[in-house]
Amino acid sequence: MGTTDGGTAALTPEEGWSTIHDTLDRTRSSIYMAGASKILILWGVIVSLGYFWQYGYQTMANDFFADRPWIPLPVWIALGIGGIAGSGIIGHRATSRLAPGVDIRRAGIRVGLFWLAVVTASFLIPGAAGLWNAELAARIPHVVVGVIGLGYVLFGIIFRPALAIVGLGIAASFYLPSYLAGDAAPAMAGAATLLVAGAGWAWIRKNEVA
Amino acid sequence: MTQEAVVLNETIHQSTRLRIMSMLVSQPETDRLAYGFIQKVLDLTGGNLTTHLRKLEDAGYLFIAKEFHNSKPRTWVRATPEGRRAFAEYLANLDKALNHRWSIPTHS
Repeated sequence: MGTTDGGTAALTPEEGWSTIHDTLDRTRSSIYMAGASKILILWGVIVSLGYFWQYGYQTMANDFFADRPWIPLPVWIALGIGGIAGSGIIGHRATSRLAPGVDIRRAGIRVGLFWLAVVTASFLIPGAAGLWNAELAARIPHVVVGVIGLGYVLFGIIFRPALAIVGLGIAASFYLPSYLAGDAAPAMAGAATLLVAGAGWAWIRKNEVA
Repeated sequence: MTQEAVVLNETIHQSTRLRIMSMLVSQPETDRLAYGFIQKVLDLTGGNLTTHLRKLEDAGYLFIAKEFHNSKPRTWVRATPEGRRAFAEYLANLDKALNHRWSIPTHS
């Protein structure tokens, strides 16, 4: 029933169906992963910058910032806005380069909305838990990192399990130093986050389209 | 019980070409895919992909366009209406082939 040209084995009808389903699944998830490696490394750098900055001010200008505990918030918001804008540009360029069209635009909007929901939740949950005050503000990053890590895990479960591992790595990069490294925690978290993002970037570059 | 023989389109019913056509027809009619995207998703060498694309193009099932973007060459591939029709017919025949096989009584 099948053909054997090109030196390949003939397909049975069952194998034909299976081939079609596998290809559709891989095409769809590859479209959703477009630009993922660059976006991952961008966020790795941004979050690490935030951690290193935090380490810097805690060790070199702690007295100055002790009177101004609100300063980290606008810095993290500025970094976050930069990351969101950068991710949008990278995603748009990747999809235009690989598969411009209606379908991929829809995919891009869905991915954007998914991460917008994750980031919004990461800010709203600490608010709902009553952490947005000077006394408990130090706990906010613990919630934010957990929610972002959960976002990676969910996205990974749907599209690529390796991303779920990256999410766990990003969360571990923050939690382990924060409980074990004392004052050096932000610096260690920054280095670990860069390492995890770099490993995720290398894996995606090797195995994925973008 | 007599059954009508099901003939599958041999141009499409080949592992690599079936995967190429599946990718292309899963996109809206106006959308096209980059050559490099197809190559990476299907994990093919350039030579292998080109050979199969040419065969599908000769059959009139896809359209290949070469363009320059920022002085870099880009190759785009899109399923033609004829390719979409052929694939739909192939799917219908594949469905028939599967149903026939399942309905064939076993002999002891």
